[in-house]
Amino acid sequence: MANVLVWAVWVVAAFSCLASGIAVVSFANPFFSALALIGNLASLAVLYLLLSAEFVAAGQVLVYAGAVMVMFLFVTAYLGGRADAPWAGGPTWQQFGAVLAAGAILVEVIVVIGLKAGGRLSHEAKIDAGFGSPHRIGRVFLTDHLLAFEITSVVLLVAAVGAVILGAHSRGDRVPGHVSGPGRGTWPEET
Amino acid sequence: MIVAAWICLVAPLAAALLITLLGTGVSRRGAAYLATTSVLGSFAAAAVVFAKLWGESPDARSHPSTVWEWLTAGSFHVGLRILVDPLSVFMMLVVSGVGFLIVAYSIGYMDGDDEERRYFAYMALFVFSMLLLVQAGNLVILLAGWGLVGLCSYLLIGFWHERPAAIAAAKKAFVMNAIGDATMALAFFLLIQHRQTLNFPDAFAVGPGHGWLVNLVALGLLGGAVAKSAQLPLQTWLPDAMEGPTPVSALIHAATMVTAGVYLIVRTHAVFEQAPRVQELAAGLGAGTLLMAGLIALVQTDIKRVIAYSTMSQIGYMFLGAGLGAYANAEFHLMTHAFFKALLFMAAGLVIHALAGEQDIRKMSGIGRLMPMTRLAFLIGSLALVGLPPFAGFFSKDSIIAAAMDRGWYGYVLFAAALAGTFLTGVYAFRLFFIVFPGELSPFVQEHLMRGSHAAGMEGAHGEDDASRPHGHDVHEHTGEGPLSMTAPVLILAVLSVIGGWIQFAPLWHPVSDWLEPVARPLAEPTNTQEALASLFAFLLGLAGIAVAWMVYGTRRWRVPKYAFAQRMLEHKFYFDEAYDYAFYRPAVALAQGLGRWIEGPFIGGGIREIARAFRDAGLSTSRLQTGLVRTYALAIAASLAVITIVFVAVR
Amino acid sequence: MRGPDVPWYLAVAAFLFATGALGVLLRRSPLIVLLSLEIMLNGANLALIAFSRLHGESSGQIFALAVMAVAASEVVVGLGLIVAIARKRLDLDVDKLSILRG
Repeated sequence: MANVLVWAVWVVAAFSCLASGIAVVSFANPFFSALALIGNLASLAVLYLLLSAEFVAAGQVLVYAGAVMVMFLFVTAYLGGRADAPWAGGPTWQQFGAVLAAGAILVEVIVVIGLKAGGRLSHEAKIDAGFGSPHRIGRVFLTDHLLAFEITSVVLLVAAVGAVILGAHSRGDRVPGHVSGPGRGTWPEET
Repeated sequence: MIVAAWICLVAPLAAALLITLLGTGVSRRGAAYLATTSVLGSFAAAAVVFAKLWGESPDARSHPSTVWEWLTAGSFHVGLRILVDPLSVFMMLVVSGVGFLIVAYSIGYMDGDDEERRYFAYMALFVFSMLLLVQAGNLVILLAGWGLVGLCSYLLIGFWHERPAAIAAAKKAFVMNAIGDATMALAFFLLIQHRQTLNFPDAFAVGPGHGWLVNLVALGLLGGAVAKSAQLPLQTWLPDAMEGPTPVSALIHAATMVTAGVYLIVRTHAVFEQAPRVQELAAGLGAGTLLMAGLIALVQTDIKRVIAYSTMSQIGYMFLGAGLGAYANAEFHLMTHAFFKALLFMAAGLVIHALAGEQDIRKMSGIGRLMPMTRLAFLIGSLALVGLPPFAGFFSKDSIIAAAMDRGWYGYVLFAAALAGTFLTGVYAFRLFFIVFPGELSPFVQEHLMRGSHAAGMEGAHGEDDASRPHGHDVHEHTGEGPLSMTAPVLILAVLSVIGGWIQFAPLWHPVSDWLEPVARPLAEPTNTQEALASLFAFLLGLAGIAVAWMVYGTRRWRVPKYAFAQRMLEHKFYFDEAYDYAFYRPAVALAQGLGRWIEGPFIGGGIREIARAFRDAGLSTSRLQTGLVRTYALAIAASLAVITIVFVAVR
Repeated sequence: MRGPDVPWYLAVAAFLFATGALGVLLRRSPLIVLLSLEIMLNGANLALIAFSRLHGESSGQIFALAVMAVAASEVVVGLGLIVAIARKRLDLDVDKLSILRG
């Protein structure tokens, strides 16, 4: 019985995941797209839970859906109507090529999975109860993958500094010590 | 002795380097005295070497010395090697002795020129180069000296580099000499291949059974000699070289460098003796040149060019002698010629100096009245040139003419040519003398030499008071015939032109021949009868030439015969320049222009243009891919991903 | 508790990735492009976690966490750029930002 329940949860989560993904891509208004992405992240968190990745699921909801998406919504609201843009556009060959490339990737991955499905992919490893717990993740993070951990922190720091500079820069040429002059710090007009 | 030889060699080089490196740190006078002293030092060292060598037995008089092996290729070694033997010492004495007198003369002649330091540096460098040439112990060092004297000749002909004619003459001399250098270098390559050495005298022992090789080597050496000594058919550069300062003409283009060809033939006589046809060719070329130059000298109006053609003619005699195997006589004539030809040039230089650079003999008439010492010097030089006894030319030239009688019918042809040359020498030498020195004062001379001053009081008052004299060539406040530094060498050379020939009088005493015999044993030993016969003929014909010149130019009793064709022929120097112009210059220019227009333009230039255009077009069309649109790039990445995935799956 | 096999998760991940790619390639609003990028990253994350489960190996989850951090950074910088563009009163349209054209 438990199997049926798991399957049911999986089906709901997977379909809401796919639907919200399509919604993100297809909404004209970025505000709604962002809201759809929150749903996408939430349903993904459910899938993570089904895969015994409790800590990642929690992080997904807290950090991603909580913090990042709030910032996203904030920016979208800040920009208001100016955030709207034509849905698609560009030359026909580009749209055609885009669909073709994305479809090709999808088909290829599905085919590869299908070719391997009967083999190793089905035999899941035995796991204990601690798998995916914060305790286990933290231990691995700070022992085997310490370098990755440190590099990630540096990446985050760089991103923060970059965002600050971008914000200061875009306010014009009043940043002290910044090289200023005509044509510096401005986006040239489209030609 | 070897040390003295090295000192003799490097002293002028040291002076040249010192003047160059000090730059304005040395005064103009200082540079002049430095150069003169160094050459005097060379002469002293050469005299020491001579004295030491004199004390040795004749067979032991050969001392090679190598300081540095700078080229080793297998068994082939080339070092900085000098060879001290009677021939090189003889040449060292001539070069440094005459060189010293001429450099000293230059002190006065070049006084006031803007670039005196450069001049004296070049002169010292030239003396070094010439000494290197004659002291060389192998053919590579000889070639180095050979090239260096050519370079100095180029630099000094073009010394007044603001004159286009001087530059053109310098280039001409260099190019003509380059032809000879090339043939010489080819000969050296053959010798290296065959003998594996270029040292004297091993390199010349080619041995029998290599007829073609020996002939080619001899021809190559002859080509170099002919170019350097301005003989047929590479003679056209020498008259133009008179664009240089007069002391340069005296030193390089009369006394030393142009005689290097004779030295080369004597030095390499072993090769020529194995190729007798080529040696006869050398004699024939000498005879032809002496006749041709004598004829052309009859119509020239530039004082220095007349003497230049005379030089060419006299070197023709030397070639004749060397070609006949009378090496000692050729060398002897080289020495006396150095005396009297340097004297003639320097006396002419006094005249030119007094007339502020004027060289046209038609404007000089009567100058002898104002410059009696110069007139006397010029007369002595001319008499020595014609070869009247007891002047120097008599002893040296007649021996060469006599040697011609030893050679069958070919020898008699040469004998006749040489005698005809003697007659011509008499005519042109005294034509020059009679036109320039005696006679009425020409207005031009009056204007230059008698301007408001005491013309009569000039005599004897040489310009010792240099300091009071304004500097500069074109300032001619002359107080006589020239400063002591100019007149003293002229006097010394005049004395040498008289007595210089007395050291050898073939029938009675012959120390020069004895001295040189260990190096170059003569092929021809004229008998006393032949000597006497040759002297008699030469004396009479020379006298006849002088008499003709006297009748035509001295008394003007005979008119100058008018043969328009011959006149034009001679004035155009037998059309050699024109012929070379048509034969080489114009075809080369036409070829170059044709290649430029039909090959380089369309094919090479066009090809490069097309390649450039293809790359530019390729760049332009590729740059269109870079749209600046992020989505296009993203599409490219996605498409690549799709393709790479296929590849990965397919490859596994 | 036996649910769907890993291949099902992978299929969902592939589908998410393709959807996101389609959004990136087709949409012209930079905001939506950023959101689509997030979907692509999440697809990759899902695949990572699925493989982590398959091998019983925590490293996949570590990798997923790193991807999340990178995604957060990318969103921060991307949003900063978008705000800067908006401040300059330019159109928010990726097709008009082609100043780097060669």
